[in-house]
Amino acid sequence: MQPQPAQSQKTGTAPFLEIRNVRKSFGGVQALKDVSVTLHAGQIYHLMGENGCGKSTLIKIISGAQPATSGQIFIDGVQTEGEVAGDLGAIGALRAGIETVYQDLSLLPNLSVAENVALTGQLVEADGSLARRLKLGALYETAAKALEQVHLPTDRAFLTRRIDTLPLATRQLVAIARAIAAEARLVIMDEPTTSLTRQEVNYLLSVVRKLLDKGVTVLFVTHKLDEVKSLGGHAIIMRDGQKVAERDVTTTNKAEIGHLMTGREISEARYRTEPKIGDTLLQVEGLSQGRAFKNLSFTVRKGEILGVTGLLDSGRNELALALSGVVPAERGTIRLDGRSVALRSPAEAIREGVGYVPEDRLTEGLFLEKSIQDNVTLPVLNRLRNFFGMISQRKARKLSEDQITDLQVVAPDVTVPVQSLSGGNQQRVLIGRWLTIEPRLLVLHGPTVGVDVGSKDTIFRIIQRLADDGMAVVIISDDLPELLQNCDRILVMRQGGIVADYAAEEVDEDGIYQTMAAGPATEAPANMDEEAAQ
Amino acid sequence: MTDMTLTNSRPGVFKRIWDLMGRRPELFTLALVILTVIGVAIANPDFLAVNNLFDILRASVVRGIFAMGVLAVLAAGGIDVSFTAIAAFVMYALTMLVTNVFPGMPIWVILPLAAAGGAAFGVVNGLLVHALRTPSLIVTIGTQYFIRSFLLTFIGTALFMNIPAAMDGFGKASLITWHGTNGVISTLPATVLVLVAAAFATWFILERTLMGRAIFAAGGNPGIAERLGFNLFYVRLFVFGWAGLLAGVAGIVHVASNRLANPFDLAGMELEIIAAVVLGGAKITGGSGTVVGTLLGVVLITLVSNVLVFIGIPSTLQLAIIGAFILLAGTIFALRNRA
Repeated sequence: MQPQPAQSQKTGTAPFLEIRNVRKSFGGVQALKDVSVTLHAGQIYHLMGENGCGKSTLIKIISGAQPATSGQIFIDGVQTEGEVAGDLGAIGALRAGIETVYQDLSLLPNLSVAENVALTGQLVEADGSLARRLKLGALYETAAKALEQVHLPTDRAFLTRRIDTLPLATRQLVAIARAIAAEARLVIMDEPTTSLTRQEVNYLLSVVRKLLDKGVTVLFVTHKLDEVKSLGGHAIIMRDGQKVAERDVTTTNKAEIGHLMTGREISEARYRTEPKIGDTLLQVEGLSQGRAFKNLSFTVRKGEILGVTGLLDSGRNELALALSGVVPAERGTIRLDGRSVALRSPAEAIREGVGYVPEDRLTEGLFLEKSIQDNVTLPVLNRLRNFFGMISQRKARKLSEDQITDLQVVAPDVTVPVQSLSGGNQQRVLIGRWLTIEPRLLVLHGPTVGVDVGSKDTIFRIIQRLADDGMAVVIISDDLPELLQNCDRILVMRQGGIVADYAAEEVDEDGIYQTMAAGPATEAPANMDEEAAQ
Repeated sequence: MTDMTLTNSRPGVFKRIWDLMGRRPELFTLALVILTVIGVAIANPDFLAVNNLFDILRASVVRGIFAMGVLAVLAAGGIDVSFTAIAAFVMYALTMLVTNVFPGMPIWVILPLAAAGGAAFGVVNGLLVHALRTPSLIVTIGTQYFIRSFLLTFIGTALFMNIPAAMDGFGKASLITWHGTNGVISTLPATVLVLVAAAFATWFILERTLMGRAIFAAGGNPGIAERLGFNLFYVRLFVFGWAGLLAGVAGIVHVASNRLANPFDLAGMELEIIAAVVLGGAKITGGSGTVVGTLLGVVLITLVSNVLVFIGIPSTLQLAIIGAFILLAGTIFALRNRA
C-alpha cells in the first residue's frame, strides 16, 4: 500500500475507521439497521453474532464489496467519497489499507501463489487501470517477502504454483500473506479458523498477534468464544442487524457474550429424550469416493438420529452428496433394510426412500420464485395425477397445506412464493418437501445454517418427531451443539475416514473438536506432497 | 489409495508424463501434431517437404489470427461466435471502400483500418455482454446474425474478383522463397508475419500486463476477481474488442491470400476456431489457455484438414478425424482436472 496523504494528516486522535449509522437493505429485508462501529489502530476486535445477524453484510460494506444503503464511513477521520454515501468501492477499500480474508479466502484458483499474494498491490498502484505492464520482478519480490512472514516457501517453484494445487491450510496462509503484502492497516478475517486443525489455528493466532504488534487493526469474525478469549480485545456483538453491545472480552464471561448474541439464555438441553430405536435400516460398507472419503462403514437404525461431523475437507460434505445420489460413491455398498441399493442419482435415491435436505437451500434446494405448493409437491407429482394424467391442483394443495400445518410454517397460504418467507420457514418448506415422499431415511445437510434461534428450536422438534415415528435420520453438520442436542450417535470424520463413533451423551463439544482437528503432526502446512498436487 | 501412495514414492514414467501434461496441456496437443505428422509421413514420405510445411503455415495464418482473439475471450470466461461475421463485414466493406473510393490506399493504412473496424464491433459485443448480463454465447449469436444480415442486405453480395493492388501485393509478397531440387518453387507468404505479430501481442497482453492477469482472474472466478478490485467491465470490453480487432485483420489477410472478397466467406468457421483453441489446452469454462498451445491447436486442425488428402483419406472423412481428436483431447483434459 502506498503511503497516502490521509495517513500523514493523522492527528493521532482520529480512529482508523469509523462507520456511522450504516443501513443496508436487500429488497424488503433490512440486513443492517443503523449500525455504528469505531475501530482504533493496533487493536483487535471480534465481530460476533449468530448466523444471519448482519455481520457478513457489515464486513462487505467495510471492505467495499457492497455499498451501504445509507450511512457514512470515515477513515482517519476523513469521510470517504464514493458514488453513494458509505460506498468505499473495492479499490477504495484496498487503498485505505483494508484487506479482507473471506471464508472462501478470495483466492483465484487458476493463478499462481505470487499473483494471488502481490497482484492486488500492483492493481492499487495502477489505480484499477489494467493497461499496465505486469512487474514480474516486483511481483515475486513482494510475494516472497510476505510469504516469509507466514513461513511459507519463497522459492520460484512455490511462487509459480497454482493455488488450486495447494491444501486448504496453505491457502489460508497465502490469503494472509496477501494482506501482509498489501501492508494492510485493517485485516478482516471471516471465520478463519473454521476449517483448520488446532495446530494450524494456534499458528494463525500467532500470525495475528504479530500483525497487532505492527499496529495493524484486526477484525475477527468468529463465534468461537475460546479463540476470542485467548486473543483478548473488544467484542462487537450483533443481533438482528443491530449492534447490541461492545465488551472487553477479557473481563466478560462466555455466558454473557452468548446471552448477548442470542438474546436468550443458551439452552444446551438435549432435545433427544427417549429414543425408540428399531432394526438396522441403513448399512454402509466400504464406501469410497476418490480422495474425498475412503472405506466408510457405519449403520443407522430405524428411529435413530446419527450425526456426522468433521472439518471442511474431512469428506463429510461428499458423504452427504453420496448418500443422496447427487455425487455417487465409486466403491462400496449401501444397504437399506438389508437390500443393496445403487444410489447413482437423486432420482434413484428418492425411489429408494432417501430424502435429502441440502446444505444450501437457496441454490440447491428451493425454487425461490415458485410457490410453497410447487416446492413441496415436486418429488411426488406422479402421485398427484388425476384421471386425465394431469396434476390435480386439489390434491397438491391439500398435500402442501398438510405439510405446512404439520411443520408450523408461518405463511398466509401455500400459493405465496418461497422467497417471501424467512430462512427458518424456507428450511421447513424444504423439509416438508422431502417428507412428502415418506422417506425411510432422511439426510439433513446443515439443517439450521442461516436459521434464527426460534426456528432452530422448531426444526429440532420436527427432527425428533420424525425419528420417534421410526424414520432413520442422518444429520451432517459442523454445528456441534446442534449434533449434541439432537443425535444418538456422532461420527467424526477426518481426512476421508471415520475416526470416532461417539454416543452423543458421553461426549462434549471440546472432545469432538479435538478428534476432528487432530491432524497428523508431521504434516507442515506448506507440505508439497503429491496428494495435494491435483 | 494404497497404489496411489506407491506411485507417489516412485513416480512411474506414465505418472510423470501425466503430471507434466496436467501442468502443460499443450504438450498433449504437440504430441497429437507429431503423431499426425509421423502418420502421414509413413503413409507418404513425400509429405516431408518444404513446400508442404509452407502450405500448412500459409493455411494456418487466418485461423491462427482468429484463434488469438478467441483465446483471450475464452480465458476471460466468455465465448465469441461473432468474429467470423465481423471479419466478413470488415473485409468486404473495406475492399469495397478501397476499390471504389481510395484505390491507391497502401496496406499499412488498410490493416489498421480493418483492425479499428473490427475492434469497434468487438467493443459493442463487450458492451452488450456487460450491460445485458447475458451469457456471451447468446449475445454473440445475436450480433453474428445481425452483422451478417446487415452486410448482405445493405453492403452487397457481389464478389470482388479484382481486389485492390495493395491487398493483392500484400497477399503475393513472399517472406522466403524455396527452390526445391525438382524445380518446385514454394514460397512462405509475408502474411505469416501478421500471425507472428498477433501471437506475440496476445502473449504479451496475457502474460505481461495487468490486463492479462485480470483476464485470467475473471475466467477463474469472476466474483472473487471483482472483489479483489479487478474491473470486469474493462476486461469484457477488452477481450471482445481484441477478438474483433484480430477478426478485422484476419479478414483482410483472408482477402489478400485468396485474391477474392466474398461476403459469404468465413461463415461457419467459428466452431472450428473455438475447437482449435480448446485443443490447444484452453478450458471452455475459462481461466486457462496459452498462446503456444493455441498455435499448436491451430496447426493440428490445419494439418488434419489440409494434408489428409495426401494419404488418400477423402475430405469428407476429415471432419470425423477432427471430431475424434476433439473427443480425445476433451476426455484427457477432463480426466486431468478430475484427478
